[in-house]
Amino acid sequence: MATLSIDKITKAFGHTTVIPELSLTIEDGEFCVLVGPSGCGKSTLLRIIAGLEPISSGRILVDGVDMSGAEPPERGVAMVFQSYALYPHMDVDRNIGFGLKIARTPAAEIVERVGRAAEKLRLGSYLKRKPRELSGGQRQRVAIGRAMTRKPKLFLLDEPLSNLDAALRVGMRVEIARLKVELASTMVYVTHDQVEAMTLADRIVVMNSGRIEQVGTPLDLYHRPANLFVAGFIGSPAMNFLNGKVVASRGMVTTVALSMGPTLDIAVERHIEPGDSVTLGIRPEHIALAGEGQANAHVVQASMVELLGSDTFIHANEGEESLVIRDSHGRIARAGDRVAISLPARVCHLFNSNGDRISDATAAHAEPVPLSPEERVD
Amino acid sequence: MRAGSVTTAVERRSASRASRLYLFALPATLLFVVFIAYPIVWVAGQSFYAGTADRGTVFAGLANYTTVLSDPTFWTVVRNMFLWGIITIPVQMLIGGLLAYFIERHTHALRGFFRTMFFLPVVTSVSVISLVWVQIYAPYYGIAQEYLKHIGIVMMTSPIGDPKTAIYALIVVNIWQWTGFSMLMYIAGIANLPNEVLDAARIDGARGWRLAVHVIVPMLAPATKSLLLLGVIGTLQTFPIVHLMTGGGPNRASEVFGTFIFKQSFVLGDTGSGAALSVIVLVIALVLSLIQIAVLGARLSPAGKQDP
Amino acid sequence: MMAPLVRNRIRGMVIHAVLFIVLGFWMVPQVYMLSIGLRTPAQAFDAQLFTWPVTFDNFVTVISDNPLGLIFLNSLIITVATVAIVVAVSSLFAFACAILRLKGSIFLYTTLLTTLMVPLASMVLPLAILLKNFGWVNTYIGLILPYAALGVPFAMVILKSFMEDAPRELFEAARVDGCNAWQTYWHVALPLVRPALVFVTIWQFIVTWNEFFLALIVLTRSEMKTLTIVPMQYSGLYMANPGALFAILTLIALPLILLYVLVQRAFVRGLLAGAVKG
Repeated sequence: MATLSIDKITKAFGHTTVIPELSLTIEDGEFCVLVGPSGCGKSTLLRIIAGLEPISSGRILVDGVDMSGAEPPERGVAMVFQSYALYPHMDVDRNIGFGLKIARTPAAEIVERVGRAAEKLRLGSYLKRKPRELSGGQRQRVAIGRAMTRKPKLFLLDEPLSNLDAALRVGMRVEIARLKVELASTMVYVTHDQVEAMTLADRIVVMNSGRIEQVGTPLDLYHRPANLFVAGFIGSPAMNFLNGKVVASRGMVTTVALSMGPTLDIAVERHIEPGDSVTLGIRPEHIALAGEGQANAHVVQASMVELLGSDTFIHANEGEESLVIRDSHGRIARAGDRVAISLPARVCHLFNSNGDRISDATAAHAEPVPLSPEERVD
Repeated sequence: MRAGSVTTAVERRSASRASRLYLFALPATLLFVVFIAYPIVWVAGQSFYAGTADRGTVFAGLANYTTVLSDPTFWTVVRNMFLWGIITIPVQMLIGGLLAYFIERHTHALRGFFRTMFFLPVVTSVSVISLVWVQIYAPYYGIAQEYLKHIGIVMMTSPIGDPKTAIYALIVVNIWQWTGFSMLMYIAGIANLPNEVLDAARIDGARGWRLAVHVIVPMLAPATKSLLLLGVIGTLQTFPIVHLMTGGGPNRASEVFGTFIFKQSFVLGDTGSGAALSVIVLVIALVLSLIQIAVLGARLSPAGKQDP
Repeated sequence: MMAPLVRNRIRGMVIHAVLFIVLGFWMVPQVYMLSIGLRTPAQAFDAQLFTWPVTFDNFVTVISDNPLGLIFLNSLIITVATVAIVVAVSSLFAFACAILRLKGSIFLYTTLLTTLMVPLASMVLPLAILLKNFGWVNTYIGLILPYAALGVPFAMVILKSFMEDAPRELFEAARVDGCNAWQTYWHVALPLVRPALVFVTIWQFIVTWNEFFLALIVLTRSEMKTLTIVPMQYSGLYMANPGALFAILTLIALPLILLYVLVQRAFVRGLLAGAVKG
């Protein structure tokens, strides 16, 4: 367990700056997920934290001690690699215990700690196998076991689930969530998959081209994205973005006319001048299917429909704009259907031409609703 | 304050660690400097001095070089080396390649057997090979003249006893000894051909000889290039077969660089011209290698893998 | 019109037959060597590949008359020591280049590579004088170290390209596991390139065992001589008795042939794993 402080670090490969200047503090015991598109610098940041990649300037502090030039073991890190990086010539037993052996841990203790990790990860019957004799999921667990036994201060995971097939990935995600509770270690987890980020993180760091776009809890990012990038990155299917113009601005309420038709009144945090271009964001699940003629209804034509059983995704195009509508009530539409929708102003986000959110998300957005007493059975 | 002192300690430690890492490169560098670089520098220097190493030397400028270059034997050697390379390398490639193709693509149970048997001359001591071939070539009691008679080739003398044929007779022995090596390089190349490409070629209708000529041969180019590079170097290394079978004779007709240098330096004790010859061979080797690397790329590789 | 399967089988049989015929011709020198070794003095000069009856007398004579064991031991000591040094030194160097990526190591690597292009012919004279100055003529070390220096570049090329092909994450995992450079080399790099190590070991063994030129110059005292340079002596000694000479030649050739037959599988596996590339 440790607090990790990243203090104004920069990283350049030759003349290419990968990370311009970045500061971040990860609290003791926190499960922090670095998420972003590929090439955003999240893996580089993780490798910098691990001590595998030297920094160009700045400092890395673990529990307040400068570790900028220190080797990984001095920092007390353990790491799960994307490819697992299991030693092919060692059996599971030796793979898990190798770090302890290098640290000259007494043999009896190695046996005990490897045994404990193997038990926790249900690897007991595979200890004498070589990595190539294991399935993807088993290898993944060995990689986690190897990191666990070292009782690291910092537990780093680099896209650990990306090499697994979809079904296994869900299973391992649950397993990692369980480990997070059991280990209570400070964990930094890199992924490009926002579902993993949402389900596992205490706090998510959204990165884009070497910069941090936003740091926050998963629901924070979902409900209060700081900018267009985060709004578009978090949530699946992605948030719809519609072009509009400010037609009136009265105090903290702005009237926006969308280029596809409807006009909406949106509560804003920042004043914006009439005539400015804005982007309105609304999540597919927040678009309501409305009866025609209902107030604020707008009719679109479905261009494609995806039926998933639990959900129906209706894709619609309207001029330059395209929309995805998510219905979770089992309604079935067909391509070509004309569908009446309404865009509830309460759940709409508004972004200015710089991409920053200006809509007021504190009051308007639904806070998480706890289960009602009837729903929760203690 | 505390953080600061830790930083310097960590940095100091990592600096000393970095310099200690050079210990990994040290042994190879030492061996190279003492046993390769120093001798080369020494021989280059010595080539400008006349006399022998034992009785003191005097600076002679390019005299050693002019002596060597005006020696008719030198030009015999050049001709022999040229013949050696121009015959040995392609013939070994051809036989080795054919053997590799048929062994790899058309045998299964006996694959290991054939691979091993054809390679055995490579692992047989060259001095043994030389004496056996002297016996084979021998007049009256050698089997060459006895059996070649039946197909109309009559040999009155041993082919290595005739100045006109000696070098060719030696080349035959060399080809016999080293073809197994070419075969193995091509076997590795064929075994490493990507299956998808072969499958694609077959779906495109290429089979048998057309598959071999249009797909397999071009894809074995890396092995061919390596064999060419190794062949040129190997040619300039030639010594034991000639030394043991003809000693460079008869009448210096089969002299090669190795035997020529050996005679000048160790038999005649003429260190200066021995050194000049050594330098000439070295320069020829480096120039030929560099030309090949410039034209074909530097690699020793039987496989079609792309190196970064 | 033949069924394709039948046609394939016939073609397979023809190819096997041709390969066996070619192999038959290919084996003539070795068969001839053995055949002369098995002859009685009366048959020794027959210009025939095979004679009958055979006798093992020659082998008995040459084994009891000559210190073959001592010569064999000389070869073995020199070869084993050279192989050990080459494998150790070249793998350390390859590790420095491919994994540690030390500054300047690529320059050193390229420099060492030029050794591959240096013909031994141009090296024997200076080496002979160097070894004389060191007082290393007629010593094991006088052959072992030059052999090692000449062998390192080739081994290094192969081991370096193998290490470069290994996943980098494995070496990073070793760092995270707390390995220093030496431990990474020993516990991770060496086991990872095992097929290449085997290949390099076998190849260096063959090359060293059969080396002739330098041995001829450095080893002049008969009790120091190796198996490769003694046949000359015997060809004079047994001029009138080819049976005995070829019995000795057979005995000299045999150890390495047997060794190769034993290890050829591992050797070819290393080669197929892409050992000879770089």
